[in-house]
Amino acid sequence: MAALALLAGFIALPLVSLVIWTLSEETWEAMTSPVALDALRLSAFTTAVTMVIILIVGTPAAYVLARYEFPGKRLVDSLVDIPAVLPPSAAGIALLLAFGRAGLLGEHLTAFGITISFTTAAVVMAELFAASHFYVRQASVGFAQVDRAVEESAMVDGARGITVFLRVTVPLAFPALLAGAVMSWSRALGEFGGTIIFAGNFQGVTQTIPLAIFSELERDFDAAVALSVLVLAFAFVVIFTARYMTRKAQGYQE
Amino acid sequence: MVFVPVFLLAVLAGCGGGERNGSINVFAAASLIDAFGEMKEAFEGENPGAEVRLNFAGSSALLTQIQQGAPADVFASADEEKMDSALEDGLVEEPRAFVTNELAVIVPEGNPAGIESLGDLAGESVTLVLAEDGVPVAEYTEALLSNADAEYGEDFSGRVLGNISSREVDVKAAANRVSLNEADATFVYESDITPDIEERVEIVEIPPELNVVATYPIAVASATQNEELAEEWVEFVFSEEGQRILESWGFEPAG
Repeated sequence: MAALALLAGFIALPLVSLVIWTLSEETWEAMTSPVALDALRLSAFTTAVTMVIILIVGTPAAYVLARYEFPGKRLVDSLVDIPAVLPPSAAGIALLLAFGRAGLLGEHLTAFGITISFTTAAVVMAELFAASHFYVRQASVGFAQVDRAVEESAMVDGARGITVFLRVTVPLAFPALLAGAVMSWSRALGEFGGTIIFAGNFQGVTQTIPLAIFSELERDFDAAVALSVLVLAFAFVVIFTARYMTRKAQGYQE
Repeated sequence: MVFVPVFLLAVLAGCGGGERNGSINVFAAASLIDAFGEMKEAFEGENPGAEVRLNFAGSSALLTQIQQGAPADVFASADEEKMDSALEDGLVEEPRAFVTNELAVIVPEGNPAGIESLGDLAGESVTLVLAEDGVPVAEYTEALLSNADAEYGEDFSGRVLGNISSREVDVKAAANRVSLNEADATFVYESDITPDIEERVEIVEIPPELNVVATYPIAVASATQNEELAEEWVEFVFSEEGQRILESWGFEPAG
């Protein structure tokens, strides 16, 4: 009990400090500054694109990982986990050395006039690299828990494979998919090291909220605090929505 | 209001791990990394038992850290403005200028964008990087570019600044973007063209009459826990040996 109180207090105190500073220093105005608005817009846009890609590619990928055996499966499985363990700054260097202007692949892209670093596409790539793990892992656990007998009986009733997947498997695994998606999205929103190293830092193009917070430290501490409070509010909304929806989804199944 | 800095201070002090006799924290501009690194070795060699912990960042970030109660004993800034802010807030005592530095333009080896002069920086499809707004080197660069407007046309500085693709944490990060061939050019201090960087970049001449002189002040922090050693470090920076090391890294003595 005491341990839990200690942990809760340790997490709550810095968050409360953020809010107190905002209230006492009237940093509200900083939230509507061009830097903050651009960062907010860019973060919303890049994380949305990242999530669409993760859902489209990650869902079937997770299903394959959960249901099929193939040579090299363990290797692929571990590969999916690596970005979660790798420090984001190391991921940024790796991305730079692969896709940067002088990178392994980037060098050849440059020859065709394609440059990825310093573009919004690079931000999405950094977010994908860091965040895909959280969805794919959760989703594959969710798929593995879906009873095969239910899928098979739907098949017997004459439904096609893809229909069974979309109408039976996905709804049954929904709480896991949602939880994974929320984790993934939070990770993408918080992505910092990979972005600043690989995508660079420019307002409106690659400067997402975490980068804007970092940049504002150089100029305007109040603005950095304001942006931090903004993402804190975001975090609350996300966590409560996810909890609510997971509970609702589980309610349907029972 | 007071609550937050005090809390931060407590956390930072806690991380220091037991107050040792004879250790100081020197907060120094990123451009001083190599010179101060070498000076730390020399200083510690001459003063057994003394430990100098160096914390490098853009001067503006350092100022913010000190304002938020970080335990600095010495502050060395790359411009007088940051030091003046610290002085106004009563955070430092008696700053003195200890070196100067000039700006230089560097391009990657092979010069992919074909930048032969300062004027070429305004060309279309040039990928520039520059340190963050507010970092001294960026402010000196802006001053230099407005000097150059008279020479290259009124919209020159606007066009150059419009070519910026990324704002870097500090001058060293900007230099690395160019040495890795991620960017076509950046502004650095002459002292940043270390042997390591020099191997991978080419230097573009800035007309001397347009260049600006960066003045670096140093001061003991008012809240220092070890005034004696902090003052000794400052003395060492001004000593013949300290100045020699600084000069070997491309700095010029202050007036």
